[in-house]
Amino acid sequence: MKDILRLDILKNNDLLLIVILIFGLLTFASLLFFVIGKIKPKANLKELKNRTKSWWVMAIVFICATLINTTISYFAIALLSFIAFRELYSVLGFRQTDRRAIFWAFLSIPIQYYLAYIGWYGAYIIFIPIVMFLFLPLRLVLKGDTVGITKSMSVLHWILMLTVFGISHMAYLLSLPEIKGFASGGRGLLLFLVFLTEINDVMQFTWGKIFGKHKIIPRVSPNKTWEGFIGGVISTTIIGYFLGFLTPLNVNQVVFVSFMIAISGFFGDVVMSSIKRDIGVKDMATTIPGHGGVLDRIDSLAYTAPVFFHIVYYIAY
Amino acid sequence: MQKLVLNITYRFFIRWFLKIIIGVKFDNAHFLKSEKQFIIVANHNSHLDTMTILASLPSKIIDKVKPVAAADHFGKTRLKGILTNYFVNTLLIQRKRDKENPENDPINKMIKAIDDGYSLIIFPEGTRGEPEQQQPLKPGVAYVLQSRPNIKYVPAFMVGMGKAMPKDDNLILPFNSSLTYGQPTEIKSTQITDILKQIEMDLNELKEKN
Repeated sequence: MKDILRLDILKNNDLLLIVILIFGLLTFASLLFFVIGKIKPKANLKELKNRTKSWWVMAIVFICATLINTTISYFAIALLSFIAFRELYSVLGFRQTDRRAIFWAFLSIPIQYYLAYIGWYGAYIIFIPIVMFLFLPLRLVLKGDTVGITKSMSVLHWILMLTVFGISHMAYLLSLPEIKGFASGGRGLLLFLVFLTEINDVMQFTWGKIFGKHKIIPRVSPNKTWEGFIGGVISTTIIGYFLGFLTPLNVNQVVFVSFMIAISGFFGDVVMSSIKRDIGVKDMATTIPGHGGVLDRIDSLAYTAPVFFHIVYYIAY
Repeated sequence: MQKLVLNITYRFFIRWFLKIIIGVKFDNAHFLKSEKQFIIVANHNSHLDTMTILASLPSKIIDKVKPVAAADHFGKTRLKGILTNYFVNTLLIQRKRDKENPENDPINKMIKAIDDGYSLIIFPEGTRGEPEQQQPLKPGVAYVLQSRPNIKYVPAFMVGMGKAMPKDDNLILPFNSSLTYGQPTEIKSTQITDILKQIEMDLNELKEKN
């Protein structure tokens, strides 16, 4: 009980600083759209305003879930995985005979997060890529329906890797051992990762909206442009450089890792876009106004989290 | 007492279970408060259908809405019948018409419930059937509306329930699903086939919207 009621945030000035920064940015965005709306009443700002409103909610939920205290954070990130998994498997059309295997896939979510919680790295890192990878096809085979079984085997495990294994790296950041002289710890790293990934999305969107001309992959995502991509990568890397105090890395390493977050965030985004294109939907769900489903918001995180985690793990731990 | 039990069970426990675990997206049902009496007509794919509709109802009227269910299934034993009547607030009817005992006749039973001031939930497909497949509508609901033409019906359409909990499988899986309500409507004609056609068109319209 003591663990759950503890307030960690007030003990660390670096974390407090970034919280103030997040709310400062959101206030700025809200004021900006408000003023533009007053000056040019005809401008169509409804979607941008909706998005900003949702950003407020997401930021508050995220900050409460991750900064108030670490024990709650594992639950919150697990819930995020669960909702993303449910969204993705619901639209990908499984057979009725896959239900038992899907049940086991759902059950692997609490197990994976428990392994992250107790910090058993060896088990955590093989549980989904090896244990579930071998077990799920077995469960499908036992059911005996072979028509379309290859698709079920591969798609089910792929969803699990993307929405559970990938996202659970965020939780394992919190279980990393303490490093002397690095006060922000896992929460600092988690904040760095999420803030940079989301700001990268926003930056790529903004640069693309203002300067976008040359499309990168028009067949997958017609709104993605070279201008948006390069502008986003550069601004994200610069912002990452200034947030380096949240990580135990030196300047060169921080710049490198920020650059990698920007690139992989873009890849996560287009991978999910291509799936949406394949099944012919615009958004995965309608949970978050202006953004779509939960998965539409965390698609880049599914890519940036493992990339960021393993680079930091290799360099600093 | 029953109203309180129903409200705690459905408005609180089942509603949040359906929202967070199953992933049901509820339509706003506040407009039902201003309707004095109505018949909710919904498609049927799963046991979750009744739970979902009950969980969506405004707490003020929850005890005044009776889901119509088959007595052979839910009233198999006396105890089961009493329990479903209390916790699901059902109106148990038999599937076949009964000309000899008017009191036992399903249509008369539904009309009597209407005259007693209750609203009804009817699944005119009759049975849950194959997951996510719609079946032809049975005329029972049309007979009720025909004899009480001033009662409005409210079409309701659910997507995904048959995937979350299909017939012949008691394993419940989370699945992003939704419940959508249409407008309360009066019947335009007193012909049974016309009423059925009207209802079917309204349900299909809701289906397209999803």
